[in-house]
Amino acid sequence: MTMQHLLINVSDLTVEFDKGFRCSNINWQLFPGQHWMICGSNGAGKSALAAILTGAGDIDGGYITGVPERIGVVSFEAQAELIEAERRKDDADILDVIAEGTPAGEIIAQVCKDQTLADKLCEQFGLTPLLDRAFRKLSTGETRKVMLIRALTSKPQLLILDEPFEGLDAASLAALQQHLLSLASHIPMVIVLNRLDQCPEFVTHIAFMQDGKLTQQIARDDHDAYQQLTQLMHLKTTQLTLPPTDIDHTLPELDPAKPLVQLKSAAVKYTDTVIFKDLDWTINRGEHWQLTGPNGSGKTALLSLITGDHPQCYVNDIFVFGFKRGSGESIWQIKQFIGYVSTALQWEYTVGTSLRNVIISGFYDSIGLYSKYTDNQRDIANQWLEVLGMRDRADETFTSQSYGDQRLLLIARAMVKHPPLLILDEPCLGLDDMNRQQVLSLIELICARSDSTVLYVNHHAEDKIVGVENYLALDSL
Amino acid sequence: MSTNYFNTLSLREQLEQLGKCRFMHLDEFSDGVDALKGKKMVVIGCGAQGLNQGLNLRDSGLDVSYTLRAEAIAEKRQSWKNATENGFTVGTYEELIPTADVVLNLTPDKQHTAVVNSVMPLMKEGACLSYSHGFNIVEEGMQIRDDLTVIMVAPKCPGSEVRAEYVRGFGVPTLIAVHENNDPKGEGLALAKAYAVGTGGHKAGVLMSSFIAEVKSDLMGEQTILCGMLQTGSLLCFDKMIEEGIDPGYASKLIQYGWETVTEALKYGGVTNMMDRLSNPAKIKAFDLAEEMKDIMRPLYNKHQDDIMTGKFSETMMADWANDDKELLGWRADTAETAYEKTPATEDEITEQEYFDNGILMVAMVKAGVELAFETMTSAGIIADSAYYESLHETPLIANTIARKKLYEMNSTISDTAEYGCYLYNHACVPLLGDFMKNIKSDVIGAGLQLNHTGVDNARLIEVNDAIRNHPVEAIGSTLRGYMSDMKKIV
Ligand SMILES: NC(=O)c1ccc[n+]([C@@H]2O[C@H](COP(=O)([O-])OP(=O)(O)OC[C@H]3O[C@@H](n4cnc5c(N)ncnc54)[C@H](OP(=O)(O)O)[C@@H]3O)[C@@H](O)[C@H]2O)c1
Ligand SMILES: [Mg+2]
Repeated sequence: MTMQHLLINVSDLTVEFDKGFRCSNINWQLFPGQHWMICGSNGAGKSALAAILTGAGDIDGGYITGVPERIGVVSFEAQAELIEAERRKDDADILDVIAEGTPAGEIIAQVCKDQTLADKLCEQFGLTPLLDRAFRKLSTGETRKVMLIRALTSKPQLLILDEPFEGLDAASLAALQQHLLSLASHIPMVIVLNRLDQCPEFVTHIAFMQDGKLTQQIARDDHDAYQQLTQLMHLKTTQLTLPPTDIDHTLPELDPAKPLVQLKSAAVKYTDTVIFKDLDWTINRGEHWQLTGPNGSGKTALLSLITGDHPQCYVNDIFVFGFKRGSGESIWQIKQFIGYVSTALQWEYTVGTSLRNVIISGFYDSIGLYSKYTDNQRDIANQWLEVLGMRDRADETFTSQSYGDQRLLLIARAMVKHPPLLILDEPCLGLDDMNRQQVLSLIELICARSDSTVLYVNHHAEDKIVGVENYLALDSL
Repeated sequence: MSTNYFNTLSLREQLEQLGKCRFMHLDEFSDGVDALKGKKMVVIGCGAQGLNQGLNLRDSGLDVSYTLRAEAIAEKRQSWKNATENGFTVGTYEELIPTADVVLNLTPDKQHTAVVNSVMPLMKEGACLSYSHGFNIVEEGMQIRDDLTVIMVAPKCPGSEVRAEYVRGFGVPTLIAVHENNDPKGEGLALAKAYAVGTGGHKAGVLMSSFIAEVKSDLMGEQTILCGMLQTGSLLCFDKMIEEGIDPGYASKLIQYGWETVTEALKYGGVTNMMDRLSNPAKIKAFDLAEEMKDIMRPLYNKHQDDIMTGKFSETMMADWANDDKELLGWRADTAETAYEKTPATEDEITEQEYFDNGILMVAMVKAGVELAFETMTSAGIIADSAYYESLHETPLIANTIARKKLYEMNSTISDTAEYGCYLYNHACVPLLGDFMKNIKSDVIGAGLQLNHTGVDNARLIEVNDAIRNHPVEAIGSTLRGYMSDMKKIV
């Protein structure tokens, strides 16, 4: 088999754009026969990546080769540029008559190399009656159509389409999609789209941008990766609201004047080792904390003093949610206020129950579901599955899900009752990059949209969570 | 010499006590742990049951501390570490027993007479003494001071499970009883219920039983199907495979993990489900083998039950206790010397289904043992619910211990009483199955049927399926598992 020759090669490229935005260390290879879709959340650098192919921005390192000469570009930037140019032309012509500006038909003709096609597309887009009208007098949707026709009729060797479907009426959309399909056999395309479900059939590869970095490149026919990406996009880009809590089972009121958690001179000791000692810690409502420390410094032991999972919580001076530990309270009275996620929990959660039941079990703080739940709780669990992009898998078994999906489900389980305290013990541990991004997206959503106080444990500095501002570092003793 | 309590009763009383067994509904536990709130619970012994029950009770908001024999405290033995590292107060009998409202005797059964004799004089007037097994009361006829309430709360699982299930928010099936001779204030039942709630048992199902029914069924289950049958089966199956030229490493692994794998199927759908995991021809084969073994072994099961009922078993065993466990230790050493114990398992993987396909005889042994134990217990007057817990329910739990470290692990995990009974059974059962084993070939143990077609006669298959499904252990099993899964999944 002969190696197919490379079309475009982007190698360790760093590009700086006007407003200080950077795309860094991009490695990307486009081969003939491929069509790429670029996706990512707003501001992630989707359009910037596409624009790099047209030579936009200043190269700050690396190189790009193989970009063909004739590129058809459709984007808001290109559209805005053309409109701006038209306006400047008007200003420049100091005439005593008010200039009408260049007619749309002429704008198309400037670059058109296939008049028959242009006529056909104008007809299909309903643009024919408007061709004599000044370009800058057209509506946004109409100028977009003009841009599309320019790009498509310029005999391009590469098409770069940034949100080409945005603002098109149904008939034009259908016509465009059909036309693109007919081009797919001979013109490579790079399409920026906000939503994966708009991804045209012929697209073979998907690039995912995050913070100016090209973090994922997946082949369309890699079903697992595609499904994960769908979920990530869903978490990143959909206007998600967190499902409500269960109004029939509200938690007891907490005294707002008292801290959620207060440890005084806390210690965990075994016969011959001291894990930590003399630790004072107060967590007030609304103060999100990050707990760091090397392996073995006792992060998990400390958390389990709070959750009541550590038996030595009974010999420490611990005040949690209005209870002095060891004063006759039961562990379930403590746990009701806490949502908890950890790798250990995931290992223990080996119950062959459905995804929905796993989420419902969060109402009961149980591993597995042993209580009769209400219809309302079921509804809420379904809404969480919606948030996770797993609604269609509600009845599948938990243990058959991927590791990353299990983690997302356990976070939803922890959140389902809107706990005053949400404890995330190394929530990204053991996850690959894609899953890590999903988990972090979900946590950020929770930090931003809920009243839970978040206690986040992580020793990876890069997994920072927006909104966490207090830090406690445990040293190894 | 002690008097067997059961034997002091009239036949009418014996039957009444044996037949005591009622599945309690969740709503009978609505008072939670109230009856024990604010009371001081002192546990004697911090071993498998002691530690784990104590952890649960404390997490349920109850006041728990431990008392150990003075040597254990002085030498900082494991039991002392268990209690102190978990943040419990530990004290001597003199320090803690007089303060106790409830004393939980969780020492080995063999020590009960000595332990109870030393703590009883220290106990508060009107306090409660509780057990997790009735051997001391029933078989040794221990007499408890009249002012004391005597109850039993017996989890039907190893201590580690008692804790693990509680932590999950669930519990393990539990049997409770009040010793009617010692219920001066009529509060025994309320205390036992609260105790069961404190350990989480109420969520998984509580049987209201009697000391006698608990002991007679517990002993029967552990010596026959639970430990005895698995030991005998392991030894016979291994030797047969070697004789048939199966690789010893493979044979060793097939048995070590085979019991666990095939009995796991029991948990979900009883004997029916276990049998359904076999191909149709294999199922019919296993069925026939099981029927044959049941006929051969029935007299042995009857003998075990009879010896338990008459007290002959405990008398024999207590004689060995008095003789420094000579028999027990000798048999334990013999077990360690068997070819099966000494042959390491292969590293090669055996798939889950292969354990069924190549372990047809093992499946047949489990079926025969479970059904026979159940049939024998129920015909001796033990109620089906109890008989189910002591046979089918516990089989996978014991099989897990063999998977860990073969027979050694099983015998060191179970109580001395169970171990003693297990060896008794094994010594009788191995020769009993001698002729039967002569006709066994590797097709039913080690190599699989290796049929070219899996066709069977429809009429025969229907007959076999009906016989499996209609066994009485299946009916009570599905009801009791239903109670559990009712709460466990509600899918
Ligand atoms: N294991 C089970 O699966 C299970 C299930 C249900 C019920 N039970 C019942 O629970 C009870 C306890 O069984 P277990 O399995 O938990 O026993 P275990 O693990 O052997 O623990 C026994 C504890 O008692 C202490 N002990 C031993 N001899 C003693 C003596 N002479 N005086 C005072 N303390 C002594 C031991 O501590 P030191 O040796 O350090 O003093 C140890 O902490 C038994 O009645 C048993 O039948 C057991
Ligand atoms: Mg037992």
